[in-house]
Amino acid sequence: MKMADGSTILRRNRPGTKAKDFSRWPDEPLEEMDSTLAVQQYIQQLIRRDPSSVELILTMPEAQDEGVWKYEHLRQFCMELNGLAVRLQSQCFPSTCTQMTATEQWIFLCAAHKTPKECPAIDYTRHTLDGAACLLNSNKYFPSRVSIKESSVAKLGSVCRRVYRIFSHAYFHHRRIFDEFEAETYLCHRFTHFVTKYDLMSKENLIVPITEEENATPGESEA
Amino acid sequence: MGTNSASATGMNIKAAGGGGVGSGGGSGGEDTNGGGGSGVIGGVGNNSGGTGAPAGMNNQQNSAPQYTIPGILHFIQHEWSRFELERSQWDVDRAELQARIAMLLGERKGQESLKSDLIRRIKMLEYALKQERVKFHRLKYGCDPPQLNEIKPPADEPGIGSEVAPDSEVPYSSVSNTTWRQGRQMLRQYLQEIGYTDTIIDVRSNRVRSLLGMNNNAEQEENVSPNINGSENNKRASESQGRRTPAKKSQPMNDAMILDTEAAVMANFAFLAQTDVEMSDDDDISEDLDMVTGENEDSDVKTTKRSKGKNIIMGEDVDAEAKEVLNELNLLTEGRYEVSEEEVDASLGLGELAQLTVNNEAETAYDVSNTKESAYRKTWNAKYTLRSHFDGVRALAFHPEEPVLITASEDHTLKLWNLQKTVPAKKSASLDVEPLYTFRAHSGPVLSLAMSTGGETCFSGGLDGQIHCWKLPNSNIDPYDSYDPTVLRNTFEGHCDAIWGLSVNHTKGHLVSCSADGTVKLWSPDVKVPLLNTYSSELEGVPTSVDFVRDELDRIVVAYNSAHCIIYDTETGKQVVKLEHTKEMSGNFGKFINKVISHPTLPVTITAHEDRHIRFWDNTSGKLVHSMVAHLEPVTSLAIDAHGLYLLSGSHDCSIRLWNLDNKTCVQEITAHRKKFDESIFDVAFHPSKPYIASAGADGLAKVFV
Ligand SMILES: [Zn+2]
Ligand SMILES: [Zn+2]
Repeated sequence: MKMADGSTILRRNRPGTKAKDFSRWPDEPLEEMDSTLAVQQYIQQLIRRDPSSVELILTMPEAQDEGVWKYEHLRQFCMELNGLAVRLQSQCFPSTCTQMTATEQWIFLCAAHKTPKECPAIDYTRHTLDGAACLLNSNKYFPSRVSIKESSVAKLGSVCRRVYRIFSHAYFHHRRIFDEFEAETYLCHRFTHFVTKYDLMSKENLIVPITEEENATPGESEA
Repeated sequence: MGTNSASATGMNIKAAGGGGVGSGGGSGGEDTNGGGGSGVIGGVGNNSGGTGAPAGMNNQQNSAPQYTIPGILHFIQHEWSRFELERSQWDVDRAELQARIAMLLGERKGQESLKSDLIRRIKMLEYALKQERVKFHRLKYGCDPPQLNEIKPPADEPGIGSEVAPDSEVPYSSVSNTTWRQGRQMLRQYLQEIGYTDTIIDVRSNRVRSLLGMNNNAEQEENVSPNINGSENNKRASESQGRRTPAKKSQPMNDAMILDTEAAVMANFAFLAQTDVEMSDDDDISEDLDMVTGENEDSDVKTTKRSKGKNIIMGEDVDAEAKEVLNELNLLTEGRYEVSEEEVDASLGLGELAQLTVNNEAETAYDVSNTKESAYRKTWNAKYTLRSHFDGVRALAFHPEEPVLITASEDHTLKLWNLQKTVPAKKSASLDVEPLYTFRAHSGPVLSLAMSTGGETCFSGGLDGQIHCWKLPNSNIDPYDSYDPTVLRNTFEGHCDAIWGLSVNHTKGHLVSCSADGTVKLWSPDVKVPLLNTYSSELEGVPTSVDFVRDELDRIVVAYNSAHCIIYDTETGKQVVKLEHTKEMSGNFGKFINKVISHPTLPVTITAHEDRHIRFWDNTSGKLVHSMVAHLEPVTSLAIDAHGLYLLSGSHDCSIRLWNLDNKTCVQEITAHRKKFDESIFDVAFHPSKPYIASAGADGLAKVFV
């Protein structure tokens, strides 16, 4: 903690703040963040600065616990995927997308139910996000946000595989929505890099082509 | 200095009790985090390093050569407030641990008395059986059996024998009931004496009930222990994964691993089979077993062309997949465990004996709830933690009657919670609640929330400038039901910037909203063109908060970023009163109003300020009635109970405070949430008709206190 001088920056969104000024405050260096939510703050700060700088956003600070880093990123992905879900709700109907599919090869069963179920795509999307929210906030598996048990870190992979299907469904069935969303958020882009970098999904499953920078994909060489 | 105290915190908490999983572990981790942070400067890259360095330099220059008295004073003040805060946090931790100790002690007592209860019951049953035999003998032979007279009911409690008699319609049952109740009452009294609160008694009775399913629990235990095995298996699997990384495609290695993981899978499978898994799961599992080498999909995926899908890929992912399968099996079985617990409770149990006891327990619960209502409780305790949001919770609102509430979060969603649907949390006095429904329509953070008078709809305002009107799903809905687009009833068009405040007029059903676009709008939700009127003030700037004046329902009070409040007449749109105070020093700077609310019965307006004050205003004269420093940091939120007796305030100092409105004294302070950046608590609420209060925080949690 530093000496408090009068000019300390207070990072607050006071009521009345305009949308364009929301969370628009000077960056706080990670080493000065003394909150238990420091990693989340840091990641959100990087995204706000430039959502397209995927590499920078995913660059883990030195001495950062990797489990926490992956966990906080996945939280952020699931949160931002709400945005894609909202858009899909306007176009993805149980009558047209009766099953969760991407390419015709697989039908994905929704794991949110006691018995996995063939939910329509929009239900699959919502259930998967709701289930991920419950799991990632579960007091049992993730009681702390500053240290995470190895056995709980192991759960992140299956969450990744499930939520990725939302991207792939949007890409193959609601391309316009996907493109608009991606242009704003670079989320699928970032997600693909993320799961590749931390080996959370196998490459064959990453079926949405990430066009530009394909060559710059770091892959295992850096991971 | 900072690091010193931080590590001291960690030590303290650890010393206080290794058992405090949540907080102890948390702050321990913070230390490592902080330590790690210092190494980061270089690593983060030029961007943040660049901005960070000059600030740090300035600081050093400032602090080294020149100490000014105000500076030092400020610093001391700041440090003091920080220590105060930390101390209060420790107090909370200590209280929690003490409560736990009390609970565990009490639980032991309870179990002891339960044991003696059960023994007594067994004696009673024996007695009843003998009686029955005597009766039988008498009927058969027409005379008493020789040793009959020796049999006497156990002396201590004559009633019980009849209660437990196999024939349940025994005449004395009423007598026995009263004796039982007396016994229970005494037990409860005793428990209260040793420091039990009602809540803990509730918890205890739950525990006791679960204990009574002893037979089943023993089975459950078996179910659980394989999980432990499972994690061992996982370890094995991850060991082999460790081996995998260097030599990814080496064949012999794979074989070894396959053996390894096969054993692991088999172990789990064997145990799964015994817990009767549904067929579909079985299918998937056996499929995975068939080709331990791994079909490259997880257990919840079906192939449309199964035959083709069965191609065996000698995969690099074998063990990873196997491990995943294991994990998912674990998950499955855990899920099963929870489910079966309920089923078991209902069906198997201890037979009649259990039934009797359950009855008694129900009776106890009833009594407890009675005492709850009669005895006025002075302290609120955290009971429910609502965790499921990914980012700060900006607002919350209770249902007018049900123990149901809605939270609105920066994670773009709103969630519906039913406090009666809790997740059994082990090792903790507080209960976790899982959300019942997630409302998705906002394309950004949701900032404000209001509940309709009858609780059938609610309104949410977002950073996206949208106001949505939602139909509340049934509070017993299945959380994974199919999507019903009609839950979103309609959307009010009109604002073009963030909606920061919403309030409902409970008589007319009107809604008022305030937005960063500078306007306040009045809506009639059920009309085709809902917008009724718009109010704005160029002089005062942007509205920050709004409420209906509760004793004059055609008026609204609006707080502006000029730090003034204005009361408007909604019909004419004219400004009626301006709440301002001229004499306070240092102008209006820093007096920014975060929240304005109306007293439910008196012509009084209450405001929460950035300068740590809560201020009370007279609506007729517009004059300041009372002003008090209420918190260590800005006051962000206010709520007032339905009778206007208590005020609840939340602040970025991480605490909520309860105030007696009569004498404006603080009745209770509770540290409730952690900080994210410089924000902590965003909203507080009273349940309109039930004894609940709640807080919502930047840490993504909402808490309910009873
Ligand atoms: Zn679709
Ligand atoms: Zn589903």
